[in-house]
Amino acid sequence: MKLHHTLAIGALLCAAVVTAALAQQSINSNQMANSLAGVSGNNRLSMTGAQMRQAVLDYIRDNPGALPPRPMSFPQLEGLTQFVVEVDFDFNSAVIRPSSYRTVGAIADALHHPLLLGYGFLVIGHTDSVGSRQSNVGLSQRRAEAIREALVEPFGVNPAVLDAVGMGEEQLRDPAHPTSGVNRRVQLVNVGKKFCFGRSGEQFLCQ
Amino acid sequence: MKRTSFGLALLILIAGVSAASAQTMSYAEAISQIATVCKNDIARYCKGVPLGPRLRACFDANAARMSPQCQQTTGVVYASITRRATAQRDIGDVCSADILRLCGTSFADANLVTCMTGLAPQAMSPRCYQTFVDTGWATEKARP
Repeated sequence: MKLHHTLAIGALLCAAVVTAALAQQSINSNQMANSLAGVSGNNRLSMTGAQMRQAVLDYIRDNPGALPPRPMSFPQLEGLTQFVVEVDFDFNSAVIRPSSYRTVGAIADALHHPLLLGYGFLVIGHTDSVGSRQSNVGLSQRRAEAIREALVEPFGVNPAVLDAVGMGEEQLRDPAHPTSGVNRRVQLVNVGKKFCFGRSGEQFLCQ
Repeated sequence: MKRTSFGLALLILIAGVSAASAQTMSYAEAISQIATVCKNDIARYCKGVPLGPRLRACFDANAARMSPQCQQTTGVVYASITRRATAQRDIGDVCSADILRLCGTSFADANLVTCMTGLAPQAMSPRCYQTFVDTGWATEKARP
């Protein structure tokens, strides 16, 4: 009995430390899950990831220049819940740095949260303006795919609910400072319910 | 000698506690243990290897050369991740009878998790209860 109590107190202390550590890094998977669920969780994205990827390339072709003349707008994403995180990659590479492993794990925790069961998500990668616009689309696409790959294995997120899009530098967060680090980010978007569940627990694609 | 037996006792204690504890780690906590404990081993043997299946394969391929701490951590961490991911994937099948009987709802929404969290462990089949604990959902819900 005493042993059990000690273990329980030990476990509580551990939990407190973990929570504090998460808060310190300002990545909290419950917070993330709540943001991604939100009020407009019933909205649905009206275009596929493939169509978005094509739209980015079309935008660059139609709006040439060293920098995007204005941030590309995606009205289809309005009304969808989202969460923005920072993930560190090796320079000019799609390899996630160990310093960001926790962030990717927190994304996995959030996507497995009961509030988000059955929903689909876009992983959208953004770069700063260093390098050509075309190459940044490619780099951010590979980075978004690297996050998707890690979420699927080992973290067990269903690959059917995840799509990856590279936005390059087409939506700079701070267009006045295009090379600033604040532009490098990963955006998670809830694209709506993908899988529905029947009364006896069977799973099917929502209509 | 004394030090060895102390270390051994500690190892046995750790092993005993992990076997007895019913909790799996959150994915964030699990993978950050690898980032911390295996930092040097990753830089040495797995530099540029992407997080995901290839990192795990790199750990497996270099197990003999890695520090004992990293080797032990990867073992514990991947076991926890796999147990949680498997539970989250399979709970619908494992618990379908209990869910229908006790919660009267279809599987897999937040309401159902609230229902299951409110149940006495004995109300569920032991396998369903263990799977529910392994998902980590009971503890996630408890946190604000």
